[in-house]
Amino acid sequence: MVIQKEKKSCGQVVEEWKEFVWNPRTHQFMGRTGTSWAFILLFYLVFYGFLTAMFTLTMWVMLQTVSDHTPKYQDRLATPGLMIRPKTENLDVVVNVSDSESWDQHVQKLNKFLEPYNDSIQAQKNDVCRPGRYYEQPDNGVLNYPKRACQFNRTQLGDCSGIGDPTHYGYSTGQPCVFIKMNRVINFYAGANQSMNVTCVGKRDEDAENLGNFVMFPANGNIDLMYFPYYGKKFHVNYTQPLVAVKFLNVTPNVEVNVECRVNAANIATDDERDKFAGRVAFKLRVNKT
Amino acid sequence: MTKKTLEIYSVELSGTKDIQQTDERNGKEKYRGLKNCFEPRKNHHKEELRKELDLDDHKLSIKELEKKYGTNIITGLSSTQVAELLARNGPNALTPPKETPEIIKFLKQMVGGFSILLWIGAILCWIAYGIQYSMNTSSSLDNVYLGCVLALVVILTGIFAYYQEAKSTNIMATFNKMIPQQALVIRDSEKKTIPAEQLVVGDIVEIRGGDRIPADVRLLSVQGCKVDNSSLTGESEPQPRSSEFTHDSPLETKNIGFYSTTCLEGTATGMVINTGDRTIIGQIASLASGVGNEKTPIAIEIQHFVHIVAGVAVSIGILFFIIAVSLKYQVLDSIIFLIGIIVANVPEGLLATVTVTLSLTAKRMAKKNCLVKNLEAVETLGSTSIICSDKTGTLTQNRMTVAHLWFDNQIFIADTSEDHSNQVFDQSSGTWASLSKIITLCNRAEFSPGQESVPIMKRVVVGDASETALLKFSEVILGDVMEIRKRNHKVAEIPFNSTNKFQLSIHKTDDPNDQRFLLVMKGAPERILEKCSTIMVNGQEQPLDKNTAKAFHTAYMELGGLGERVLGFCHLYLPADEFPETYTFDVDAMNFPTSNLCFVGLLSMIDPPRSTVPDAVTKCRSAGIKVIMVTGDHPITAKAIAKSVGIISANSETVEDIAKRLHIAVEQVNKRDAKAAVVTGMELKDMSPEQLDELLTNYSEIVFARTSPQQKLIIVEGCQRQNAVVAVTGDGVNDSPALKKADIGIAMGIAGSDAAKNAADMILLDDNFASIVTGVEEGRLIFDNLKKTIAYTLTKNIAELCPFLIYIIVGLPLPIGTITILFIDLGTDIIPSIALAYEKAESDIMNRKPRHKKKDRLVNQQLAIYSYLHIGLMQAVGAFVVYFTVYAQEGFKPSILINIRVEWEDSNVNDLEDSYGQQWTWYQRKYLEWMGYTAFFVGIMVQQIADLIIRKTRRNSIFQQGLFRNKVIWVGIASQIIIALILSYGLGSVTALSFTMLRPQYWFVAVPFAILIWVYDEVRKLFIRLYPGSWWDKNMYY
Repeated sequence: MVIQKEKKSCGQVVEEWKEFVWNPRTHQFMGRTGTSWAFILLFYLVFYGFLTAMFTLTMWVMLQTVSDHTPKYQDRLATPGLMIRPKTENLDVVVNVSDSESWDQHVQKLNKFLEPYNDSIQAQKNDVCRPGRYYEQPDNGVLNYPKRACQFNRTQLGDCSGIGDPTHYGYSTGQPCVFIKMNRVINFYAGANQSMNVTCVGKRDEDAENLGNFVMFPANGNIDLMYFPYYGKKFHVNYTQPLVAVKFLNVTPNVEVNVECRVNAANIATDDERDKFAGRVAFKLRVNKT
Repeated sequence: MTKKTLEIYSVELSGTKDIQQTDERNGKEKYRGLKNCFEPRKNHHKEELRKELDLDDHKLSIKELEKKYGTNIITGLSSTQVAELLARNGPNALTPPKETPEIIKFLKQMVGGFSILLWIGAILCWIAYGIQYSMNTSSSLDNVYLGCVLALVVILTGIFAYYQEAKSTNIMATFNKMIPQQALVIRDSEKKTIPAEQLVVGDIVEIRGGDRIPADVRLLSVQGCKVDNSSLTGESEPQPRSSEFTHDSPLETKNIGFYSTTCLEGTATGMVINTGDRTIIGQIASLASGVGNEKTPIAIEIQHFVHIVAGVAVSIGILFFIIAVSLKYQVLDSIIFLIGIIVANVPEGLLATVTVTLSLTAKRMAKKNCLVKNLEAVETLGSTSIICSDKTGTLTQNRMTVAHLWFDNQIFIADTSEDHSNQVFDQSSGTWASLSKIITLCNRAEFSPGQESVPIMKRVVVGDASETALLKFSEVILGDVMEIRKRNHKVAEIPFNSTNKFQLSIHKTDDPNDQRFLLVMKGAPERILEKCSTIMVNGQEQPLDKNTAKAFHTAYMELGGLGERVLGFCHLYLPADEFPETYTFDVDAMNFPTSNLCFVGLLSMIDPPRSTVPDAVTKCRSAGIKVIMVTGDHPITAKAIAKSVGIISANSETVEDIAKRLHIAVEQVNKRDAKAAVVTGMELKDMSPEQLDELLTNYSEIVFARTSPQQKLIIVEGCQRQNAVVAVTGDGVNDSPALKKADIGIAMGIAGSDAAKNAADMILLDDNFASIVTGVEEGRLIFDNLKKTIAYTLTKNIAELCPFLIYIIVGLPLPIGTITILFIDLGTDIIPSIALAYEKAESDIMNRKPRHKKKDRLVNQQLAIYSYLHIGLMQAVGAFVVYFTVYAQEGFKPSILINIRVEWEDSNVNDLEDSYGQQWTWYQRKYLEWMGYTAFFVGIMVQQIADLIIRKTRRNSIFQQGLFRNKVIWVGIASQIIIALILSYGLGSVTALSFTMLRPQYWFVAVPFAILIWVYDEVRKLFIRLYPGSWWDKNMYY
């Protein structure tokens, strides 16, 4: 027999719900008596308290295995990445020469970015190092011995230093400066004791044509070995990473140009298929002139 | 009662009117029960009523019949008439039950409760991708993959389940192969043998002993014909047929032979009056298709489970949607989160696991002779609370067997076990020598030739049931009966007939010195005794006095009271002078004495219970399952068998028993004192449904005797009204509606008819009731184990969901990706969750009550809470520790990870600073993220090992259960570890899978949490065992 589904009237449903929420006969609220609710709350208080404690404990134990100064592993950081400044949303540097607002924010960012490189600050905080060799600072038995950084003066960036520059890093004249920096990696001896430099090219042939001439600061886009190795932000408090500035002198206006810069160093591979930023950086440059 | 139910009874309406008439004058009221249920529905089915009332052919004379069907009983139909009728009425065959088209069966597998959940998940995934795509054309394809995988899981599981069920259907199909039936028909004045399918109404057919009656036939002339109507009515006694109209009811009258019943002996000529689906049996068979199939209990449970999961999913989803919106996420993003959360709650692997688990059990049951047609029915037996069992063939061996002997004023018990091997009664008496001789000689049954190597009890015998019993009995005790008969040459014989009620034969003896003829006779005891003047006691003839006659009557009554069929035996050595060796006996003239014989003994026969049945019934009883016997047989026989198999236990009495014991009237007995009840179909038909309910609840031991097929249906419905899960066994076509109506219909594989097998959910390959018990055991075990499997599977769902929630709220890099989750759900966790199906029962599952349909759910609140909020959260915490460890040791300490999400995922940020001032490109971070996925994955996997171990038991300690008893669990654990190793180290370089190599030590970070899970669960179980019924027990036992 097909047992007829007892269709409950709306009132019955409401009644049942009411009874579920508060059952006056058994003194049950939401299906539990007061004591039962008390037990439940107490139980979960204890249980989750314990769980939190357990989590905290294990996390604490785990953090004991990690040093404050150097990371335990650097599996993924064999090749430092390259990055440009000014940093824009899609890595495209667009300059509308006539429209100062379009590049003003770039300039602001660059000003701020380059501030620690001011010669005065550098002189005050950092050492003058011997170029052409690594500035190694072993602990020599003293635990967590603080490390000194080498000076990288803003003036080294020449026309792109932005010091007393009415052209605002060339943005107001359509000859923009783009700064290239290499990612910091602790204890990485970039260049493997040989000199290294950054080169930029147009990605395709037409890009190369449209790109025109450019100059690099420091000359040849050199990066000196003395800025390596990096000891981490706890040791190397005032570390300023070396920069390479590229000033594009006559970019074909109103065309998007794909530029790719890479670092030429013995121990930095720049051909990683998956990581487009390993040892290189690609960005788009567009100078709009009316 | 809905309209649907009404239709169930519409068949045999033809009988209604007749039956009502019958009732008034006749005591044979087997079919009266029908009346009850027909009456209120008459109006609904006037049309059908009219259509079917025309079965009054049994009342017509031959002339009228000839006229009606345009035939001639001498010449038969002409071929042109035949062609016309055949074209009009179709072939004489039952329309096979509407086969569901294979494609529908296939599609059905894909829309069940679980599958729906996955389909919805898949569609939500695609919607989510659509939204993402509209926002950002380069969005990740993860959601598309996930949707596809979900769809694929449903389809593959569907294919698997379909294949499984098709396989058992194939096993069934082998039963169905029947030799095409032939019929001997008179057409165009010629006798022809034609396939029975081609019979048409009006055909004149000849039927011989051994034939199946090819259609509904009005018998015209009959010679000693007996039919076996058991497949129609359930009566096991052969029914004599004649050409006379004896009864108004077509079912009772002797001049009609029914399609598909067997003619046991004799010959008959008849006119076909109904063919194919219009036959009585065809109408009953078509009933079955009208009965709706009930949803299996496990299907209901799974639906309930789906509701819980969906409820949890949607509430968490909406909660976090609100949180996300208030955290200033974009609405579209929040919708994607919502969908993501809902989909993450879908247990992808469970559908496959449950299906495989069920089919494993089905396989195991098939090995124990329970063939399951419908995978879900595997569990149904486990929740069964009432079994309505047939008597003949299921509880009994379905063959007459000598059960008792009475000679020398003593009752001896014969061994009725399946092989008769242990006959212990005293065989030294001279009376036994004489008796055995009568048994051997006065017997027309013979073994079919060529069966020397077959055990005696299994040999095929030509002859009726009683003679077969006697033949086998004597063969076992005396040896080669045929040889003995040869030595005692038969010179004359009068076969048994219903007027004489005896059988007689005269033999030369094998004693060369004795020239006398031996006259042996057997028959109805009172008839035999009438013919005797002496009685043999201890081998000596003594005059038959009042005392011995009284002893005879006592014995006769006692044996009859046991429900046994009693035969008397007597003999006489004919004096050699009157009957010399050359004497010619004439059986027609009866030129020999048939009185003043010497009474030798009584022998009683019964269709004895199968030896395994009493034990099985006891097991059912201790398992809280009520066994009800429903039989068409006589109440006395039914009660006797019920007593001997324990359906009525030794110390319980019926109302009638109490009345007899106390010598009071039945009405005076307090009905509450009686535990058992024997109810006949006649009583049943007078009962209102309420009375039936009362009967079913008040008596624990019930036997329904003399019931009609339709009453079986009423009984099943009555049981179902008690909220019971009802199993019904049956073999005849008449059982098929009840089989279909039952929660689980069990058909007999050997004796069962096709219709019964088609309507059933399960088939007992050995027709043995005891197999049902193993089925119950397996069914209960699978229910318990499914609980464990689901608990195991649900647990890690939370551990997979939490990362996503934390990701939304705290802004960590995503701890575990969609594809990685799929590799847990459909990879590492599959074998372990199936392994739980091999877990042995925790306690004696056959000593517990059947689960309550509405209270003992497969997935209850406790299970969900314990899995989600206890173990699941522990797992999440443990896996997060692994995740944080990897990030911290690679340079990102937990503190810096908070709210790093936007920058982390921005592919234009290629100098993201870590805790040490190092800068990371996007891809370097991505790779670290994958490492995090792998770490989280390993964290879950390690804790799932602990989860697997704790799920072995729900109450007992793991150490009580034995850590190593279920070897498959260890296979599961090994598979988990191996799959994880392969994923991490083997496929770590395939970026699309987002797995990476992992340092060995990270595999052990979650181990303390795994141990914690184990210890915690042991404590939980300890308290449950220590304080049963306490608050803890109620909240923590699932």
